[in-house]
Amino acid sequence: MPKLIAIVEDDPDQRANYAYAITKKGYEVQAYASREEALLGFDKQLPDLVILDIILGDEVDAGFQICRDILSRSPSLPVIFLTERINEIDKISGLRLGAWDYLSKPISLDYLAEKISSLLRLGEVSSTQVSASDNVKVIGHLSLDQDALLLTWKNQRLDLSGTEFRMLAKLVKVPGHAVSYESFMNATMQSLVTNNTINTHMRNIRKKFEAIDPEFDCIKSEYGFGYRWIKQ
Amino acid sequence: MNVFKHKRRRGPKLGTKLMLLGLLVLLIPTWINYRQLIEMERILIQAQSQTQLKTAQGISTLFNGREDLFQNLPISLDDYEALFANPMQDPIRFDGKDSDWEELSGKFRTFGLDAGSDVDAGFRLTLGERAGQLNVLMKVNDQDLVLRDQGMLRLDNADHVRLNFIKANGEDARVVLTFPDNGIITAYNMDKEWKFSETGPPEKKFHGYVQQTDTGYLLEFRMPLDLLGSRRYFGLSFVDVDDIKTRKVRAITQTLPKSNKVGFNLVVLRSPELLNIVEGLGYAGARIVVIDSEKRVRAQTGGLSTLRSTTPDTNWIARVRGWLEVFHPYIKKMVGTGDITIPAENAESITNQLIESSLAGDPAVLISRAMVLLDAGSISKADRPKLAQEIIMAAHPIVSENKILGTVIVEQNIDEIVSFQRNALEQIVVFSTTGLLIAFVALLLFAGRLAWRIRNLRKETSRAIDERGRLITDTLKSEINAGDEIGDLARSVSGLLSKLHQHNNFLENMPRTLRHEINNPLNTLSTSLQNLAEETPSIRESKYIESAKRGVLRIGAIVQNLADAANLEEALESEEFEIIDVQKLVENYVANCNISHKNTSFEYSGTSSPIYAQVSDYRIEQLLDKLIDNAVDFHVSDSSIKVQVSAYRGYMQITVANRGPVLPNSSEQSLFDSMVSHRRDGPQNKLHFGLGLYVVRTIAQYHGGNVRAMNLVDGSGVAVVVQIPLATTASRDPSSAITAHATDRTPVASKTPVASKMSVASKTPAVGKPQASIQTL
Repeated sequence: MPKLIAIVEDDPDQRANYAYAITKKGYEVQAYASREEALLGFDKQLPDLVILDIILGDEVDAGFQICRDILSRSPSLPVIFLTERINEIDKISGLRLGAWDYLSKPISLDYLAEKISSLLRLGEVSSTQVSASDNVKVIGHLSLDQDALLLTWKNQRLDLSGTEFRMLAKLVKVPGHAVSYESFMNATMQSLVTNNTINTHMRNIRKKFEAIDPEFDCIKSEYGFGYRWIKQ
Repeated sequence: MNVFKHKRRRGPKLGTKLMLLGLLVLLIPTWINYRQLIEMERILIQAQSQTQLKTAQGISTLFNGREDLFQNLPISLDDYEALFANPMQDPIRFDGKDSDWEELSGKFRTFGLDAGSDVDAGFRLTLGERAGQLNVLMKVNDQDLVLRDQGMLRLDNADHVRLNFIKANGEDARVVLTFPDNGIITAYNMDKEWKFSETGPPEKKFHGYVQQTDTGYLLEFRMPLDLLGSRRYFGLSFVDVDDIKTRKVRAITQTLPKSNKVGFNLVVLRSPELLNIVEGLGYAGARIVVIDSEKRVRAQTGGLSTLRSTTPDTNWIARVRGWLEVFHPYIKKMVGTGDITIPAENAESITNQLIESSLAGDPAVLISRAMVLLDAGSISKADRPKLAQEIIMAAHPIVSENKILGTVIVEQNIDEIVSFQRNALEQIVVFSTTGLLIAFVALLLFAGRLAWRIRNLRKETSRAIDERGRLITDTLKSEINAGDEIGDLARSVSGLLSKLHQHNNFLENMPRTLRHEINNPLNTLSTSLQNLAEETPSIRESKYIESAKRGVLRIGAIVQNLADAANLEEALESEEFEIIDVQKLVENYVANCNISHKNTSFEYSGTSSPIYAQVSDYRIEQLLDKLIDNAVDFHVSDSSIKVQVSAYRGYMQITVANRGPVLPNSSEQSLFDSMVSHRRDGPQNKLHFGLGLYVVRTIAQYHGGNVRAMNLVDGSGVAVVVQIPLATTASRDPSSAITAHATDRTPVASKTPVASKMSVASKTPAVGKPQASIQTL
């Protein structure tokens, strides 16, 4: 049975485009234009993944409200914000509400499809509680389970967002080698990424490591080029 | 920075202007009062002059036709030598001192002193009249004093004085004054030979005192005027005996006329009858003088009252007036009508003119500053200069048939008349000064407060906008509640600011709004293109799909860049600063540049020791991105881009230089404003909004530094110089690190370079005026 993806987007063209592309990938799609419509739909059937725009018509925070509402019904439901509101503060509040990722427009539909599939896989993993997978990479104190999107540092679990996880995976692919900004941009699966965005992500990753290990100093800036993972 | 700072010549301040105006307003009434007083004085004096003339006329009328009153003197004095007996106010003490003759000082005649003032046997004679007595003061020169030998009967064998006069009964009288001893004089009636006493015992009517002095005798004596009779013929001689052994008469100095025709002098006195009449007419504060046609004073009464009544006042005005006493001379000078003020020296001749004109038959009035005519006896000599004052003299002739007998002069002190006017002036001065002071202080306070308020408003208005013209605040706090025009101004400016703020907000939010509005259709476009390609595999490979996608990406990039630049300052707020080795960072960066920009070569020169500064490394990286992008965009191919890091006292400098088109003049600062691009012949095919250098400036300023762009010295290209203050404390390696020793974070101008060897051709690198340190590339 195909997974049910719910799309809440007030712009009919974009809504149709998303629906077309996602259906094409073999998912079932429910598209809603407003908050009321969406909540009514969710009452009938909960989707497996929700893609939310934040601004719906005149309601500037409708996406956040839907997110809060739906996560209260199903806390482990993957939620992706896909929005033109890309201010840091929106991103933070979105993620804080429990969204799994925050994507900005304009989006590449291929990336979107990939994101959906990876999040659905992740949801499956977390729901089936399959902790160990075969695809685990260990570099020093770091262990990286790319299928389960599980990450541990010195045997402590770290929660990274999907984008952050992919960036870190890219960074440690060949430890010791510098990874360029461009490579990271591809890893974010977004079409418009600046060095600043990469830097922001990297800083967040560093902070998450430092939160559990103040000594952490494996991510080195290669100014003007990118980043490098060095062994501690 | 002060946005009103124009180099403009500053006029007088508001306070000064207000005070000058206020002074003018206050001075006008004072001046009018003053003019009024002057006019008043003029009128008063005129009126007084007329009154005095009338008085003089009235008195003269009394004497009109009374030739008899004037006839007791020979009208012609041709045959006589006149000895004037001046009236005296005070009694004389016969004590051998001439101090009580003060009032007649100067009124003496000399005899036998033609050759000099110390001729032997010469003398000075002063005659005074008081209470029916004739007072005589003689100062005799005599080298050898021979006193009378009382053992001898002859009286002419010692120094003595001979008096000749005609008694009331018409007989000749001869009296000798002998000096038996110092202090004593004895008078004798003499025989015709002047040798022996006629009567024997001394004459008691003569009373006096002789004092031997260094130069001779000082002799004072008195005799009753009745002795002289009504005609007062009088002669006086000093007989000098020098040889005490032979006792021969050596010289006789006499007052008798040279012609010696009649043999007598005439003692001229005031006519008692005239005096009696005049005395009855005297009134307070005025002096009446009757002068005969020979200009002799025939009668005088009254005195010029000169002393102001000094009743001590106790009220405050009087006290203030007391302080103003010092101004009296000036006030007098102010009030005194200058055109009739006559110096005291000329007074005598002026008075003479008055008398002459009066004797010629014309009534005359004169206002003079002097002690004129017969001086009042009560004034001592020392006080005279002080009391010399203006008087009004009115002269009216006395006529008899067609003859002028003399003139009546009425004198009165102007001070008497104008004293009340001067008091008024003083009060005006007191009140005006007090009023002026109060008004002045009030004006000063008002003007000061006004200026202070305006200054405050100006300061706050200046502070509302920073040096780059951005609004810091949208309301003013000072003066906003004031009800006057300044309040209106403040409210108006505040309203202006808030409107400007709204507009600014709109402008600032414009890129975000734009991005927001553009991203949705862009997303539609982008997803539609992707779906189109998906749906129709035949056009998937079409180059138009690709170019459409590129177009979408570019629009997205444009909007993103704009929004990023607009958000930069906000984003910087949340940036974390740490002390890092910037030299290492830049070196690392340039090394990576050689990888990321394959077609361009980079040259790096830096310091050997670390340079620590408190920075956000990502932002410095971003800054370098923009600088390098800019340099790469404009560099001439095959030339290398030179990056240099150097440290000076307190700040570090990053220079990025490239060869290529130079900057037009005067664009070196505007270059860093957003949306400004100056190098026209730059690459056309790249995204170019002029945002890069704006980002550089914003980041540099956020680090407390600055940025300048300038053409290279040889004109071959452009260098951009970023200066950032060093960290104040070196946390990592203080021994070798270059850090600032100054405590301020802002760069200090004109410091000596610490590492000047690092700069290729730097002259005096300073934050204020950085030098392009790369001349050749």
